[in-house]
Amino acid sequence: MSISDFRTPHRLDEALSTIKQLGPSALVVAGGTSFIFAPVNEDRVAVDINGAGLDGIRRENGGFRVGAATRLSALQKHHEAGWVLDRVAIHLASQQLRNMSTLGGNIARIFPWSDFAVALQALGATMVIAENGERQVGADEYFSSQPARLFKNGGLLTAVIVPAVGGGAGFGYRKQTQASFGFSLMTVAACMELEGRTVKSVRVAAGAGIPFPSRLKAVEEAVKGQAVKEGVFADAAARGLAGLKFKSNAGMSEEYIANLARVLVGDALTEAWQSAKGGAA
Amino acid sequence: MTQQKNISFTLNGEKRSFTIAPDEKLVKLLRRSGCLGVKEGCDEGTCGACTVLIDGKAALSCITYAFLADGRDVRTIESLGTFEKPHRLQTALVEEGAVQCGYCIPGMILSAEALMKEIPEPTDEDIRVHMDGNFCRCTGYEKIWTAVRRVAAERAGKGVANA
Repeated sequence: MSISDFRTPHRLDEALSTIKQLGPSALVVAGGTSFIFAPVNEDRVAVDINGAGLDGIRRENGGFRVGAATRLSALQKHHEAGWVLDRVAIHLASQQLRNMSTLGGNIARIFPWSDFAVALQALGATMVIAENGERQVGADEYFSSQPARLFKNGGLLTAVIVPAVGGGAGFGYRKQTQASFGFSLMTVAACMELEGRTVKSVRVAAGAGIPFPSRLKAVEEAVKGQAVKEGVFADAAARGLAGLKFKSNAGMSEEYIANLARVLVGDALTEAWQSAKGGAA
Repeated sequence: MTQQKNISFTLNGEKRSFTIAPDEKLVKLLRRSGCLGVKEGCDEGTCGACTVLIDGKAALSCITYAFLADGRDVRTIESLGTFEKPHRLQTALVEEGAVQCGYCIPGMILSAEALMKEIPEPTDEDIRVHMDGNFCRCTGYEKIWTAVRRVAAERAGKGVANA
């Protein structure tokens, strides 16, 4: 391990100029929980962004703007109409880790435990990156590969804009681990909008059991426009996942993970549908 | 070349200064500063033995860089009770027969204390959510959780404090 020095900027502009000045040796740290599994192998200077004013959840344009350094426990304990990330956060690791880890840290680099990469794709969130001003990157583009490419010129993930879920839309989330605090074997999130009994739009994403967290477009196509009746989501999961390659994990075979995915996708869709028709997220 | 640097934070109610290596972990700093109640277990953020309170929230000192504690409020088991004057959670654990080797207990107590500060009357689900990051490899968990339930009930005026 070789963190050779650290800096503690007290404002965002100071953090950005510190990162720029350090160049590739800068290592942005907030919760710092990832480094135990991703050791730093060369001399790096830690830039502690906890004092840069990047934490907190606030309403913005009908959705939520969540600072990148907001702790997962703050997401877990935020309860408000339209807010659904509490349902994701509570399943991630242990309370101590949720008190330390941040939303930004969970998605700035994709790890097997990046459950928010899945939830934010299903929600169609937008990532805010500061670098000579501010640019916004949609979830599909942001999560198309490791996000490091978006930060290589000194950019910093500062916030995530999370749509509020409600008014005929619903959210479903499923995660399977071996123990409650364990890494995901499979994570699935679904966001669905109904028109009467018909699925008007749907976004489904999965992670952990597949090579990289991504939208499940074949599942979405199998669900969209369907009139909801018994078995429709299980059928859509089976059809939509048929072409997908799964990873064996923690002693579990590809076949097992594939079956797990079918069950969790069906359940997440059902939960999203139930909350959409119930009027609450 | 790694340089030593100075930080300061409040440790168990006392403002203190420390000289640290930039990559030093908080558990090492606390133990070499005399807080031997902080236990190093898995050293990878899993077992919870190293739990301390940072600004009142349970955190894992084995994976926390010491520099992240700069300016914060850090509490270890030493701030809660002593051998002569134990904390109520400590006596409750003894009364319930919840302690064997005791290695996990400082972390358990700090997680329970943080939980009860936030949720004075925790449900069993609250206890599970807030304490499943503290492993015990001797007793199982039922007696530990019984002790936590008992102290919470006492604090809420729904039980009899007898220590």
